[in-house]
Amino acid sequence: MVEASRPPRADLVDPASLAALGHVEIVARWIVDGFLTGLHRSPKRGFSVEFAEHRPYQPGDDLRYLDWKIAARADRWVVKQFEEETNLRATIVLDVSRSMMWSGAPTRLTKLAYAERLVAALALLLLRQRDAVGLVRYDDELRTVVPPRARTQHWRRLVAALDDPHGGRASEGPRALDQAARLIRRPGMVVLVSDLLMDVEQMRGAVRALRGVGHDVTVLHIMDPSERDLGSVREAIFVDPETELAVPASAAEVREAYRATVEAAIAEWRALCAATGAAYETVLTDAPFGVPLRRAFAARQRLP
Amino acid sequence: MGFLAPLYLALAAAAAVPLLLHLMRRRSGTRVEFPAVRYLQRAEQEHSRHLRLRNLLLMLLRVAAVLLIALAAARPVGRMAGAGHPPTALAVVLDNSLSTGQVVGGRPVLDELKQVAGELLDRASAADRLWLVTADGRVETGSAAALKAAVQAVRPYGGAGRLPDALARAAGLVEGGGLPARQIALLTDGQATSWAGRIALPRVSVVVYAPTGTPAANRAVAGAEARPARWTPRGGVVVRVRAPDSAAYRIALGGRTLARGRVAPGEEELVQAAPSGEGWTAGTVEVDPDELRADDARHFAVWLGRPVPVTVDASAGAFAAPAIATLVQSGRAVAGGQVTVAGADGAARLPALLLAPTDPVRAGAANRNLERLGVPWRFGAVRRGRAAVRGERVDGASASLRYELQAQPGAAADTLATAGGDPWMVAGDGYVLVASPLVPTATDLPVRAGFVPLLGDLLSQRLSSEPGGVLVAAPGQRVRVPAWVTGVEGAGALRPGADGSLTAPAQPGVYFLIRGTARAGALVVNPEPDESVLERLSPSQLRERLGASDVRVATAAPRFVASAFDAAGGRALATPLLAGALLLLVAESLVTRRGQGRA
Repeated sequence: MVEASRPPRADLVDPASLAALGHVEIVARWIVDGFLTGLHRSPKRGFSVEFAEHRPYQPGDDLRYLDWKIAARADRWVVKQFEEETNLRATIVLDVSRSMMWSGAPTRLTKLAYAERLVAALALLLLRQRDAVGLVRYDDELRTVVPPRARTQHWRRLVAALDDPHGGRASEGPRALDQAARLIRRPGMVVLVSDLLMDVEQMRGAVRALRGVGHDVTVLHIMDPSERDLGSVREAIFVDPETELAVPASAAEVREAYRATVEAAIAEWRALCAATGAAYETVLTDAPFGVPLRRAFAARQRLP
Repeated sequence: MGFLAPLYLALAAAAAVPLLLHLMRRRSGTRVEFPAVRYLQRAEQEHSRHLRLRNLLLMLLRVAAVLLIALAAARPVGRMAGAGHPPTALAVVLDNSLSTGQVVGGRPVLDELKQVAGELLDRASAADRLWLVTADGRVETGSAAALKAAVQAVRPYGGAGRLPDALARAAGLVEGGGLPARQIALLTDGQATSWAGRIALPRVSVVVYAPTGTPAANRAVAGAEARPARWTPRGGVVVRVRAPDSAAYRIALGGRTLARGRVAPGEEELVQAAPSGEGWTAGTVEVDPDELRADDARHFAVWLGRPVPVTVDASAGAFAAPAIATLVQSGRAVAGGQVTVAGADGAARLPALLLAPTDPVRAGAANRNLERLGVPWRFGAVRRGRAAVRGERVDGASASLRYELQAQPGAAADTLATAGGDPWMVAGDGYVLVASPLVPTATDLPVRAGFVPLLGDLLSQRLSSEPGGVLVAAPGQRVRVPAWVTGVEGAGALRPGADGSLTAPAQPGVYFLIRGTARAGALVVNPEPDESVLERLSPSQLRERLGASDVRVATAAPRFVASAFDAAGGRALATPLLAGALLLLVAESLVTRRGQGRA
């Protein structure tokens, strides 16, 4: 009965419905709150800067963490326990090219809107982990570069950066990844959020370079469901908004072949990432935000 | 292959629609923004051959489906394996003539023909047009079930019927049936006498069922005739039989046996009798029953009465008086004043045998006397020169002096004889008028052997108190009856038509002619003597007799039934074509769905 009256977790509801409720910042907080509600806290308790709880003193405990104030007031011996801190430095690389501004159905978010909310939620989640988070936005050029910081106020700057200009006609992914590598001086985490409508081979070198300097790379491949099965369009001339490439086709006739091609492309990206030691996930824009967030967070959890 | 509705072939033009769509499919003007065009382009490049083949296959499937539907709409008919037949206009001609009543192999031939006709009608479909035509002229149409019931109700006819007429009628029906497949299914015993000549049926196919089996030797009464028709009171019955050997016969008159005897085949036997009774009486001549019962008896009618009292006037000439005296001596007449034989200018009253005046100057007086007597004829100009006389009992006689007989308005009379094409002897109510005087200088009739019997017949048949006579007809035959006939006893509502004729009843028998309220004659209906000749034609002979476009004669029922409804040499192909179109559309749907995947 108690479960039935509880409001739904924001990370598990329809993304378009959730996005309609507020700004990126608010939505991202709901997502993270919902995500953390369903997440088991880390069993690792250490002695970091973030106080967690008290526990009775036991012989052998470091006296530095003994809470002397309680000992003086209540004559009770307890030690302070802190959340573990890893000091991870993460950079989120977001593709804001024109192809990301597309949605296959009016009831769905554009790939970019979906990605922005996902990026905001992921950044908030990492910052709450005491990780430093940076942001690189790019299309045919670098639009925004926010260096990683671990302060809580940094998140508002990241969210504000999401509103920077964008909409170029190409995706300069390799260049953006190079920029991300330069932003993180010691090995950290790079999350690429893109529809990956770019050349695979060019990206291979960039990912390999990131991995070469010890960065952990996670690729979130954002796709609209209509990009996987060609949607409900029938006979038409299909036009690429970035390159103006036009291909006349009957969706009914080529759907099967198209699906096979998309699956082959996904397999190529997956193989590229596997070969370079990067994580790869396809993310459909009709999937709740919790799904990609959990995958990206899982990559974070694997790091020391 | 033919088409029942060829105009629908125009629907085949619709096959151009999928063809045009196929050719114009890449010219759609709708532009849709789609970021993943690179995948689409790659898919088309990698699967171009497959896609081309698939599109071509789809186009061919659609064009073929449209063509098959158009073909089906045109209702094609063609030869294909399997059951069924094209819509056929089929007339079943069932020979129910008297001869089909013969029992062969334990059952009447007609029963076998009816059974086979029923099996044939079982093969009919709702699209067929069906008729049943019988040898007696009956025509029925309707569904196969209705015609099967009609077939079962058919009974043997009393005579030969008119099989050629039935075939011609059937041909007219199927030709007007509105269907290109036309066929006549004839079921007959193949009796040779029914096929006097070749029957031309040029535009129909005919299948014939003529059962095998040798008919038993038939024994039949070939002739039964009362001579004369009026017995006063003596007369005779002429008996003839058709039998392989001499046959015993029995003559019955008025329900009582008049005589028994035995007669050799082909011989004519005259049985004299002087029965009691008066008026018109029916009689039969019977032989022992055999496999064909319908011709084992033959009917006749006779008028029984007392001798006619007759007197001869001096104006009748020198030959009339001796002839009448001879009749009196033989008992066929008595002296008396009931009937007068006199010249037309001297007769005082009717009934009378009125003779033309010997002297032409008396013609005017004769006409005035005729007018006084109420006879609607007048003597006209004198014709001289020999002219042959034609008529019953007077053939061979001639007239060298005769008057032109001029009918007065309203004259209702029978012409008994003609001379040179003109009426020479006419008879009416109470009179017989002869256009020549009975003298050798005017006609040789008085000196001929038939003169006295003719005179006797005129007295008894035409001038006695009860005029009338015997008409002989076959069942269903059209018969001209005397003007005085007002009805027919024993034939229901049968009445003479406006043309003075009537159709003889279907069943043999004696039907008395009614004048007012009394019997005044008889219509004797007997089957045609040839109907008792049961020899059959062989299948090849039957084929020769039928001048049809396609004639198939079967002696076995299964073969006959199988050959029916095969006039067009095929069957309706609409259903298999539609099934083929359906299969093509299913295949098209499968190919399309496969191309779309699970979308």
